[in-house]
Amino acid sequence: MTSVIEVQHLKKSFQSENALEDVSFTIEKGEIFGFLGPSGSGKTTTIKILTAQLEETGGSAYVLGKPAKEMKKSSNRNRFGILTDNSGLYTRLSIEENLLLYSKLYSLPTSAVKEALDFVNLYSERKKKVSQLSKGMIQRVTLARSIMHKPELLFLDEPTSALDPVNTTHIYNGLRKLNEAGTTIFLTTHDMSEAESLCDRIAFLHNGRIKAIGTPQELKKRFSNDTITVELKDGSSHYIENRTHEANKLYEWMKNEQIEKIYTNEPTLGDIFMQLTGSDLI
Amino acid sequence: MNIGRIQAIFVKDYKEFTRNYAVSTMVLLPLVLAFLYNKMGITGVETYFLPINLGFTAVTTFVQCCLIAEEKEKNTLRGLMLSPATLGDILIGKGLLVFIVSAVTIALTIFLSGYEPANLLLLSIGLIVSIIFYLGLGTLCGLFTKSIVEASVFILPVMVVFSFGPLALTIAEQYPILKIAEWLPSAQIVELAYKLEGLYTLMDVTVPILVIIAWSIAAWILTAMIYKKRMVD
Ligand SMILES: Nc1ncnc2c1ncn2[C@@H]1O[C@H](COP(=O)(O)OP(=O)(O)OP(=O)(O)O)[C@@H](O)[C@H]1O
Ligand SMILES: [Mg+2]
Repeated sequence: MTSVIEVQHLKKSFQSENALEDVSFTIEKGEIFGFLGPSGSGKTTTIKILTAQLEETGGSAYVLGKPAKEMKKSSNRNRFGILTDNSGLYTRLSIEENLLLYSKLYSLPTSAVKEALDFVNLYSERKKKVSQLSKGMIQRVTLARSIMHKPELLFLDEPTSALDPVNTTHIYNGLRKLNEAGTTIFLTTHDMSEAESLCDRIAFLHNGRIKAIGTPQELKKRFSNDTITVELKDGSSHYIENRTHEANKLYEWMKNEQIEKIYTNEPTLGDIFMQLTGSDLI
Repeated sequence: MNIGRIQAIFVKDYKEFTRNYAVSTMVLLPLVLAFLYNKMGITGVETYFLPINLGFTAVTTFVQCCLIAEEKEKNTLRGLMLSPATLGDILIGKGLLVFIVSAVTIALTIFLSGYEPANLLLLSIGLIVSIIFYLGLGTLCGLFTKSIVEASVFILPVMVVFSFGPLALTIAEQYPILKIAEWLPSAQIVELAYKLEGLYTLMDVTVPILVIIAWSIAAWILTAMIYKKRMVD
């Protein structure tokens, strides 16, 4: 087996509520796996359990072939990288000084700092103090920190939530390259287009349960409602079901050369989520 | 344990400390007090140790507490914990700077107060184990609090007890309960210094040092335990 993460019936309760009810999934080596879910669905809780920052209440979680608890060990921490929404930086130090510290903690050559800065497009601003940075820049610095040691496994908890489109694209390209070089990526988001453009497979999480899991194409196929839309030259648009009694309409339009466009009605990931849970992703 | 990591954390702390005036100016407190006492011509072992004991709490414990509390407040401690740095790397790396700053401050305090210890070597041993204790106490306070503001409130009673505890001994005649204050590290170091001025036995020297060592061990064991707890939310 080359499963990098294997989670079975994972459960986590806090004093008053269950953050995770029953979560099972596996991530294979080399995948980019997306965890989609609205706020409070349990995304961060899952990442915390997988990186030994929280202990599960029930079920099992294996990371890199070992119980997630063992990610506490210094030798295992070298093998994964993590970015969360509360990853802190030293505000009195410059971007470069922050990364320099981490290059030493991971026993990397100093050249790793420049590589990481290029990854997030911040090399020219490396001397800036962290206290003077924008939210998006801070997110890029913490991302640089998490990928600096080219980990086997990378956890990204909403990595682009504060970024502009230009930097988002730059970072997507970087993440794809990193993935091609062998890094398995587990990423959480509530941005559907992010999940669609970046992830090999996605899982929908809602109230601590996985509602669906698969490649974006599979999911769309599974949840497609088997209808097509036909646009006619007169500007009218018709929504028709893929059934025999509707076929005559199509035949007539085609015979009279009335058709401008025909397309299948694929649901978006957002539509699927709505269908599954009755609630929006955000 | 890894020297490279310890050094990296030390260098980082040094840069932050020198840019954080609110905390770094604390070292002036014992120095000014020592200087003033000297100018006023007040002498005597008990007097010399007022600024020294203040240095232990206001510099060693307070500064260490602030540095740790700030790491918690800004979520940077979590980052260190998630890196390959071990418990030892982090605690030593984070203690080293304040240890050195404290040693220099105490040395300057002694110099400015005009105190000339009869046996500098034996006294230094007592001072060094004291710094190790107060460092552990500061780390502990830092781990207990969540922000610098909280830390600076939390630290006040700690400072009063450990710095001014020996003063309680002066009224211990009326309130025998206060006798326990003589077991405080701040009282034990005065005791050691006092004994060193006259004729002393081996016991006179080893007992205070051992008492302070016991305090240090207790403080650091507690620190390691709390730290391990803090690793898991
Ligand atoms: N330390 C904690 N103590 C108590 N409850 C918690 C704790 N951490 C998380 N929770 C609860 O667990 C649930 C899941 O939280 P989690 O942070 O995993 O959500 P999330 O999917 O990451 O949301 P977001 O998109 O807002 O980051 C929430 O209802 C939250 O209130
Ligand atoms: Mg979250």
